[in-house]
Amino acid sequence: MISIRQAWEALQDRFFFLPPFPEQLDPLALFALLLVGGLLAGETLFRTIGLSRIVGYVLAGALAGPGVLGWLDRETLSMAKPVADAALGLLLLETGRNLDLGWLRANRSLLRSAAAESGLAFATIFVFAYFAVGLSLGWSAATAAITMASAPAVVLLTAEENHAQGQVTQRTLLLTAINCALSFVVFAVVLGIVHAEQSGDWLNALAHPLWVICGGVGIGMVCARLALMVASRQAKGSVAQVFILVAVALLAIGVARMLAVPVFLCLFMMGAALNLADRDKVLAYTGLPQGHWILAIVLFVVTGAMLPLGDLNWITGLQALGLIIVRGLAKFAGVMATGRQDLPAAKRRLVGIGIQPLSATAIFMAAELAAIYPEVSGQALLLPLLAAALMEFAGPQMCKYALHKAGETEPLPQGRQR
Amino acid sequence: MSDLSRLSFTSSRPLTLGVELELQLVSLRDYDLTRAATDLLAGLQYDDRFGEIKLEITESMIEVNSRPRQDVTAIAADLDGLREVLVSHCQRNNIAICGGGTHPFHHWPERRICPGERFAFLNQRYGYLSKQFTVFGQHIHIGVLSGDDAIWLTHALNRYVPHFVALSASSPFIDATDTAFESARLNAVSAFPLSGQAPDVADWAAFVDHMGLLQACGVAESIKDLYWDVRPKPEYGTVEVRVCDTPLSVDRAIELAAFAQCLARYLLRERPPVVPAMQALVARYNKFQACRFGFEAELADPIHRRTEPLGETLLHLLDTLVADADDLGCRRQLEGLRTLAHSQHGDAVWLRETATAAGNLHDLTRAAVERFAKPSCYRPHA
Repeated sequence: MISIRQAWEALQDRFFFLPPFPEQLDPLALFALLLVGGLLAGETLFRTIGLSRIVGYVLAGALAGPGVLGWLDRETLSMAKPVADAALGLLLLETGRNLDLGWLRANRSLLRSAAAESGLAFATIFVFAYFAVGLSLGWSAATAAITMASAPAVVLLTAEENHAQGQVTQRTLLLTAINCALSFVVFAVVLGIVHAEQSGDWLNALAHPLWVICGGVGIGMVCARLALMVASRQAKGSVAQVFILVAVALLAIGVARMLAVPVFLCLFMMGAALNLADRDKVLAYTGLPQGHWILAIVLFVVTGAMLPLGDLNWITGLQALGLIIVRGLAKFAGVMATGRQDLPAAKRRLVGIGIQPLSATAIFMAAELAAIYPEVSGQALLLPLLAAALMEFAGPQMCKYALHKAGETEPLPQGRQR
Repeated sequence: MSDLSRLSFTSSRPLTLGVELELQLVSLRDYDLTRAATDLLAGLQYDDRFGEIKLEITESMIEVNSRPRQDVTAIAADLDGLREVLVSHCQRNNIAICGGGTHPFHHWPERRICPGERFAFLNQRYGYLSKQFTVFGQHIHIGVLSGDDAIWLTHALNRYVPHFVALSASSPFIDATDTAFESARLNAVSAFPLSGQAPDVADWAAFVDHMGLLQACGVAESIKDLYWDVRPKPEYGTVEVRVCDTPLSVDRAIELAAFAQCLARYLLRERPPVVPAMQALVARYNKFQACRFGFEAELADPIHRRTEPLGETLLHLLDTLVADADDLGCRRQLEGLRTLAHSQHGDAVWLRETATAAGNLHDLTRAAVERFAKPSCYRPHA
């Protein structure tokens, strides 16, 4: 039976204008397929059983990925990576903009809550990875650094999807921004520890964390200044300012990729610097265009496809579950133990649930490490990756539950369910 | 549901003052209205020393009520105390509070109705109007001895509704648009079927009959259902002036309370002739004039069959009230209003000028937040 390739090549002999048989999908076609596939899965789950759309996008990626159906192989995924980088970068830019130091100054108990939940999460995850799973000191610290943060993309999009407004929403976003910032700093330090542990190369053990931190902060700050400088010549909140914000963010992503500095760190720093340096509120009223949802869909489909579901067995599954439980309890306890004078206990409980998601950022951080030590990282990073995999499905629902239970999501017209 | 045909009037000491202010809760991120009221109240540790802080119809509003006071100085202490409590607590919640009769650019369908039986009832009865009612007013209560006095004063004060509107106007923007009105807020109130003027009844007994009729016909179940410009409030023993926009500063709110007290004292003392039926002929027109043109309104005078400029009559009225202001100890506040009436540079003008200078309405609201946060110069210790 004649194959499509043979038929194509036969036609090529007759028609000079036909290109060679396409060996791989054009990146734009791939983008479109990821988008439509993710969108359909997300919308179907959302409309039929009320699940968060994000779960649908991840599920679509996981099904199509190398672990299940194999439609998206590793090569194809690497083609989609720049788009996923851009999506995560833009969402982290927004997360960085939520790092509101003015609020922290006015309400010190928030800082205590953030320190408590992040510190407890890091400590308990580290202890669990080191003693219960038996990872080395360096990889235990890496696991804790990667998973101590909440998932900024999930929290941000869940709040946006449900039009959530209120103290639980705002505090969930703020704590997520702070625990991301802490996680990035710890992650950079851990890079050094892993270098020292794996290669004994002290020069790189010191220089690499410095490169990551200084590079991330430097690119973030310079790009924030550039965005403010150019945007100050445009009307506040105008479409031109939106373009400038997105364009400079993409520039930051490109430079970060060129200099091998984590994209998520650069963009987070750019968001934080925009918030801090924008005294005249030049870009304060300019948000991301609604189009960032298109990128977010691709991000979660790619994230879903990157999940190591093939490595899931009952031992690794139990270990991942254990990590999720100790991390969850630590975060919950950190929020409940602080801010008693500031927020009623019922609302603190919901903030404790709202910050549970663990997702794309963790997976991308793990990918950074895996790229440096591919030969050893596979097994060592399985724990955080599987924990992230499980939480990809539970996290968005938990966050949505917290915001909904707090009465902060937009009420739907009677007879409709979200 | 109480029987309105048996409504009794609680006597109160004449000229006792009380002030209610409806305030805007805005996000510090973009200065748009935000859902914040129930969270704010739930976390508030406050002992009601300056008066009450209450929910209003939507989550982006909060209402403060002073305690009943004998003089404007005590009202100033209450309102500034309430301002201080709220400004500080809002900072802890990363939101801000400001005055003004309307929010310049909020999108009304995004508003959320506050929890509570009364708010659910209003939402069910009025549909979209309940969300559009996210407008912000100042209500001033003046104590009177009897129900008959309350009815008479209600009619007497109706004539001065345009003056209150012009002095307080602070709502030129709606839906990110300059409406060309000085006070666009009252157009939102006019949409309600029970807005307008109190009926032409001679005394308390006639008023109670009227209320019984409204109840029997299913029109109103309580006085709260009546959104009249000026209405008696029998449970408080007061007459309530409801047409003022919430000013941008507590100082202006205090000055308006002083004006109401002086005017009520003057009216009750002089008892000038009042013809409600004649006033009713031009009341809506005169209110429109004040809302649209502020101090430059031309008011219809149905008794003398002529028009009179609001700006001039207001200055004359303020001169007339000086003796009462001296007796009540609020001359300074009345002088503040005289300066305003003379310059005609009210809150609406400030809002337009600031919006032009800023080039956008976000920064305008930010400036309004900063203005409201300033301590009052009338607070006793200031």
